Amino acid sequence: MLSSGQKMVIVLAVVSLGFAGYLVFPAMYITAQEQPEVFVTHSGAVVQTTGDILDPVYTIQEVEFDPEKYLRDFDYGKVSQLEDGTTLREFTIIAEDDKIMEIAPGIFYNVWTFNGQVPGPTIRATEGDLVRIHFTNNGDKEHTIHFHGNHPAEMDGIFEIVGSNGGQFTYEFIAGPVGVHPYHCHVMPVEEHIGHGLYGVFIVDPKDGRQHADEMVMMLNGFDTDFDGENNLYAANTIPFYYQHHPIQVSTNELIRVYVVNMVGLDPINNFHLHGTLYKYYPTGTDMVPSEFTDMTTFSQSERGILEFEYEYTGRYMFHAHLTEFSEKGWSGVFYAKDSSQPNMEGYAYGS
Amino acid sequence: MQKIVLNQTWKGMLMEVKRSSRTKTAVSVVIPFVLLAVMIGYVFGPGSELIEFGVVLPEISIEKVEFVDSEIIATVRNTGPIAVDVVMADINDRIYPAAIEPDKHLERFESAIVRIPFEWNEGEPYAVGLTVDDGTRFEKQVDVAVPSIQPTAEMISYFALIGTYVGILPVLIGLLWFPFISKLSRSKYKFFLALTVGLLLFLGVSTAEEAIEISANNLSDIFNGILLVATVAVVSFLGLNYVGEKLRKRAGASKLAGPVAIALMIAIGIGLHNFGEGLAIGAAIVLGEAALGAFLIVGFALHNTTEGFAIAAPMARTKLMIGKLAAMGMIAGVPAIFGAWVGGFVYSPLAAVIFLAIGTGAIFQVIVSIMRWIQNEEGKLSNSSVLAGIAVGMIIMYITSILI
Repeated sequence: MLSSGQKMVIVLAVVSLGFAGYLVFPAMYITAQEQPEVFVTHSGAVVQTTGDILDPVYTIQEVEFDPEKYLRDFDYGKVSQLEDGTTLREFTIIAEDDKIMEIAPGIFYNVWTFNGQVPGPTIRATEGDLVRIHFTNNGDKEHTIHFHGNHPAEMDGIFEIVGSNGGQFTYEFIAGPVGVHPYHCHVMPVEEHIGHGLYGVFIVDPKDGRQHADEMVMMLNGFDTDFDGENNLYAANTIPFYYQHHPIQVSTNELIRVYVVNMVGLDPINNFHLHGTLYKYYPTGTDMVPSEFTDMTTFSQSERGILEFEYEYTGRYMFHAHLTEFSEKGWSGVFYAKDSSQPNMEGYAYGS
Repeated sequence: MQKIVLNQTWKGMLMEVKRSSRTKTAVSVVIPFVLLAVMIGYVFGPGSELIEFGVVLPEISIEKVEFVDSEIIATVRNTGPIAVDVVMADINDRIYPAAIEPDKHLERFESAIVRIPFEWNEGEPYAVGLTVDDGTRFEKQVDVAVPSIQPTAEMISYFALIGTYVGILPVLIGLLWFPFISKLSRSKYKFFLALTVGLLLFLGVSTAEEAIEISANNLSDIFNGILLVATVAVVSFLGLNYVGEKLRKRAGASKLAGPVAIALMIAIGIGLHNFGEGLAIGAAIVLGEAALGAFLIVGFALHNTTEGFAIAAPMARTKLMIGKLAAMGMIAGVPAIFGAWVGGFVYSPLAAVIFLAIGTGAIFQVIVSIMRWIQNEEGKLSNSSVLAGIAVGMIIMYITSILI
């Protein structure tokens, strides 16, 4: 028979060995799935795993924000005519700062939103229209809307801080100048308010319009999800790699117009590179004459412009930041150009 | 007054417990635990609002990175206070599609393997990053990418050979001092026995240092590196003390038993230390630090001849028992081979820290045994040749350790 001291020693030894063993080799308890899953790498290799896939490349994403919809969604406001014939466009924008959004598969981030989304709605007016924005701040912090463009000083959204939990302000100004502009919260620290998502695109069309085109908006943005002063994710329209997995459908020989606005914070510059064709570039969209015919444009913070191009050949064409760090952290996508002569294709043929 | 009353009450209770049956004893053990569990459940459990302040931050640690054919494999462990999902992988801050096995959800302390298909280049540094569900990214830097070593027959025998060079041969060479020591005068012998204590003191400190260093560099704070080393070392010290005591009792009154038992304990302690050395060499080779690996092999080999001496010294007053001596040489040396295998093939920083801490405890236990033995055999400890021996032993070790 063992003495109680010996028993104690044995129990101690067994317990400590078991615990140490669990800590050292916990991965031994592998519960293999019945069906191995398969994923495709960036270079096309097919890899099989019994576990979970990180960054599912070719599956439908279920993120809350829909970049597909945002791309071609323009808010023209509630339209009415003033007595003098001026068009009045009224918009309602509500700021919130408590939303947790899945900004990349599995990554949940506290976004601050205009009308519940990042970026906020794309506001569109014609030069000379009276724009009236009914702004409500339902957030816990103070917010404003600062529009780039022409307006009186008291409509600038800088000194007119809108209080939290229901504070209101009405921004009113004549739309101008023609072009593509950002709007964003201007409460300090501005970097924080922009970094969390309080920004959007404001388009002012010329009075006699632009040539018909397949128009889209690309807000270049980034998120510093761990607050270490470096962006973890970059994208055109919030969701990293979205248009790479879900190519933007366009038609060959049709004019494509992209309104690009760079709101990436923390990094001083961003850029845009297009494959397979070159574009006419209109800085800030304020002039009707392009400044360049190129496939690479550099954007500083809040710099923006209009790109016009068309594809001659069908197929997949990448567009992405030529800063490879940004492109490989999400800011890359694909245009899928289809033959415009095929039936059932919507759109307008350029030059017809 | 109250105190006294309380004291008396306690005494009364204890007396009662003593008198009561075993079941009552068991119940009296269980009751405080039950009350404690109820209290913890009430204070911290669901529905409690007492501790609803502060923010709990997730934490994961990338413990190991391996480079295999067209793939980088990271071993990740949840070392934070809450369960997390690992949702994104990157190499050099560039996001890549990857797989996590067995699954992306990690409970506390749970670990998983992340496989990132990547055409890596040998010899280049890489940073492996993993992002968890709240967007926090954790990174592990690898200085040099080297193909991870597979346990092929060739590699197994290669590591065995290195272990032999480092562990077995130097220890056996050191044992050849046996005839020299056995011819020494009593006071000189005492000096050399004390020299052994100095050698072991140095080895004990260096083993503990290495354990603490590995834990500081590779283990998450959650493991309380220094306390882990201290706890394991003390437990191993006590455990070996217990075993040593048994060993001596079993050996009985035989005059020989004392020295042999001590030599055996020295051999075991040194064996655990050499396991650590093998671990270091194996890991250095795996991590691609070829120069460090070669350096360690030469250094440890020179160093380890002194260990043979340490084993030989206590047995020098007995008649020469070549078989026993050789066996002890093997006990001390062979673990270097196992260490090289473990370090080379299944390196885990936690396992390394635990092994090294056990070694530390073992070495200090041996020191205590030798000191006790010197005291029994030779009288007092504070004798000039004993003190000089300890000092010289440490100095020799220090000098050999910086020369190589």
